Amino acid sequence: MIDYIIRAKEVTKTFGGLTAVNAVDLDVAEGSIYSIIGPNGAGKTTLFNCISGFYTPEQGDILFKGKSLKGSSTDVIASRGLSRTYQNIRLFSNLTALENVMVGQQSRLRENWLDAIVHSPTFRREERNSIVEGMKWLDFVGLLEFSNAIAGSLPYGAQRRLEIARALGNRPSLLLLDEPTAGMNPQETLRMTALIRKLRDAFNITIILIEHDMHVVMDISDRITVLDFGEKIAEGKPGEIQTNQKVIEAYLGSGGAALAQKYQRKKPQ
Amino acid sequence: MNTSLRKSIRPGATIGIVHIFFVLIGFNMLVAILFARVSGVKQPDAIPAPVYLMAYSITMGIWAGVAAAQKRKQEFRQVAFAGCVAGGFAGIMAGLLEFGLAIILVKNINVRDVLTVLSANFIKGTLFGMQPAMGVMVTVMLFALGGTLGGALVAFWNSTPFQAFLNRGIRFTKDSVQKAQGVTHGKNRLLWQIASISLLALAVVFLPLNWGSYWNYVLGTVGLYVVLGLGLNIAVGLSGQLVLGFIAFFAIGAYSMALLNAPLPYHLMWGFWPALVLGVLLAAVAGLLLGLPLMRLRGDYLAIVTLGFGEIIRILLKSDVLTAYTGGPRGIQNIGGPTIFGRPFVTDVDFMYLIIGAMLLAMFIYSRLQNSRTGRAWLAIREDETVARASGVNTVRYKLLALVIGAAFAGLAGAIFASRNQFTGPEEHSLMASINVLSLIIVGGLGSIPGTIMGAFALKGLPEILREFENYRLLAFGALLVAMMLSKPDGFIPSRRPKFQIPIQPETREAPKEQDHD
Repeated sequence: MIDYIIRAKEVTKTFGGLTAVNAVDLDVAEGSIYSIIGPNGAGKTTLFNCISGFYTPEQGDILFKGKSLKGSSTDVIASRGLSRTYQNIRLFSNLTALENVMVGQQSRLRENWLDAIVHSPTFRREERNSIVEGMKWLDFVGLLEFSNAIAGSLPYGAQRRLEIARALGNRPSLLLLDEPTAGMNPQETLRMTALIRKLRDAFNITIILIEHDMHVVMDISDRITVLDFGEKIAEGKPGEIQTNQKVIEAYLGSGGAALAQKYQRKKPQ
Repeated sequence: MNTSLRKSIRPGATIGIVHIFFVLIGFNMLVAILFARVSGVKQPDAIPAPVYLMAYSITMGIWAGVAAAQKRKQEFRQVAFAGCVAGGFAGIMAGLLEFGLAIILVKNINVRDVLTVLSANFIKGTLFGMQPAMGVMVTVMLFALGGTLGGALVAFWNSTPFQAFLNRGIRFTKDSVQKAQGVTHGKNRLLWQIASISLLALAVVFLPLNWGSYWNYVLGTVGLYVVLGLGLNIAVGLSGQLVLGFIAFFAIGAYSMALLNAPLPYHLMWGFWPALVLGVLLAAVAGLLLGLPLMRLRGDYLAIVTLGFGEIIRILLKSDVLTAYTGGPRGIQNIGGPTIFGRPFVTDVDFMYLIIGAMLLAMFIYSRLQNSRTGRAWLAIREDETVARASGVNTVRYKLLALVIGAAFAGLAGAIFASRNQFTGPEEHSLMASINVLSLIIVGGLGSIPGTIMGAFALKGLPEILREFENYRLLAFGALLVAMMLSKPDGFIPSRRPKFQIPIQPETREAPKEQDHD
């Protein structure tokens, strides 16, 4: 029997008259890399926001590790081990890289403001661990030499990786990555793909990602869900998705789909 | 060489301008009198002996030298030379000024309608009581000497052996965070700390006894505004909540002290310390109560609501309905002072020490909080509240905490303020006062402790020093503020982020181990 870390049942989210996500089911197995793809405006990020607690879906329920996320605020969800990154990078840009990662550890630290004033043993222990672990995460994403740099001053690719390091701060069991390779050049994309795979392999973190780069998606995903106009139109392994008629239509339109079929038939085996 | 010279002349010119400004308002005499007092003269004259003015000139020269020598990684002689050039240039400007003053003296021109301090005796004193030509030459020489000294000082400070001495014992991962954070703030920070701590210690011990009742009063107010500014800085500078009516918490502290410790209207006479504690607690509770409805508001909306809160408190205190309880527009008089070990506090000197204590306490708590989980949570909320929350920061809790601690600081300042003035009234807590506090932390640099001190000094102390300008006082003050913000848009001393240096050894260079959540 497979352990599902996320089970979303008939999740629906509307904005005014627009149904951004319509009765979507999602079952993500623990330890897998799961991709959500679809054309622009398909509702991918909205679904992400529902899972991470930014939005409350009107209908349906989302179970995270078997427990409903309904009514939990984002900080509680984060403390339960769910982290995320953002489509448009949202770092704490006036803090240093290390401080960003240390903010990510907030829900795990056990010091309060009184500890800080008197520098109690708890404070010393927690701060030390926090710094050391923060440095290690920075090292993991390849940003150790930038640890004291102001986050907003880092180059674009580094900011993307720093967002991941910050998300790792609370030692998540599920990580949501919103377009992690957007705007990256081919080398950076390769590095990012390797990093995502390493996260899963080394730490057994389940990863759900939204991605537009099909090479990346087909390369690293265990399973893929395709959304179009807020509805799930396909789900399956990368190979199944590639040949799915509906998916091709959604991306290329019906004329395009016919062309693609013709092209595929002509292609030598 | 040419650019190097120019680089030295620039700070020299700056110090020269500062010096001219100082002389025009008579600040050089004040410093000289201070030197005289510190070196043991009991009752120095209004124009102290030339040697003290010479000491002032050398000090200004050292300042120019240090300014010129900083950020230079050159050998000793070059740095000292740069200092000498800067000091000399400032000296030449000072000399030109003295030349002008000498003309005023000889031709007997009356400039005292505008610049009240420039009396004949003052000008003679500034020329060290010498012939004008001689005085000018000595000035230039003293400035240059000071500049060379300043340059040499910096060169010595930056020299490898001295730096090694400073860094000894704070290298790499000691298993205490204090140590870790000690390294971490980097050399500049350490330099700043040592310099400021030693200056502060000197100031705490000597100055209040020496500078007379007037200056104790003025600087006491500055000190209380530092406490107030730090409180507001927790709310605005750290957690990013723009609170406009902050003086309301100050008023709550002041009125708690007044009502509990004055003969009228209640004659409770609890004494200073219980009233102080209760004032701080009440202000904190007010912060909590105000905070609860604020939690859903951000930015401009938050500012407007807190503005309203400040006005409500002031108008309540002033209203006729509550006159029987709060003294109404006339305020409350004869508020009692503290007693320590049976010794009552009566003079401004006593209160100065109390205020310095409050300031140190506020600075201590502020700096401890700043570099902790709590401080980082606040900063994260300031930067992006939504993301902070999604990263696991309990934003409601931390925003409330910031308001409560900030309000407690304000309550502390207010209680001491009321007790020292033996009076408090509603107009002391007007919107203008709130704006003043906000301006001082912005001018100084949001979130930074030295910035808050500079800001408090600039906004509460400068208007007093500028009294010499009489009618032009506020004009000069406004011009200074504008110039300050234009040249330093981030504030005078912007806050810095801590630098951590815990290198990961190659052998331990591995990613952290995953641990299960419970």
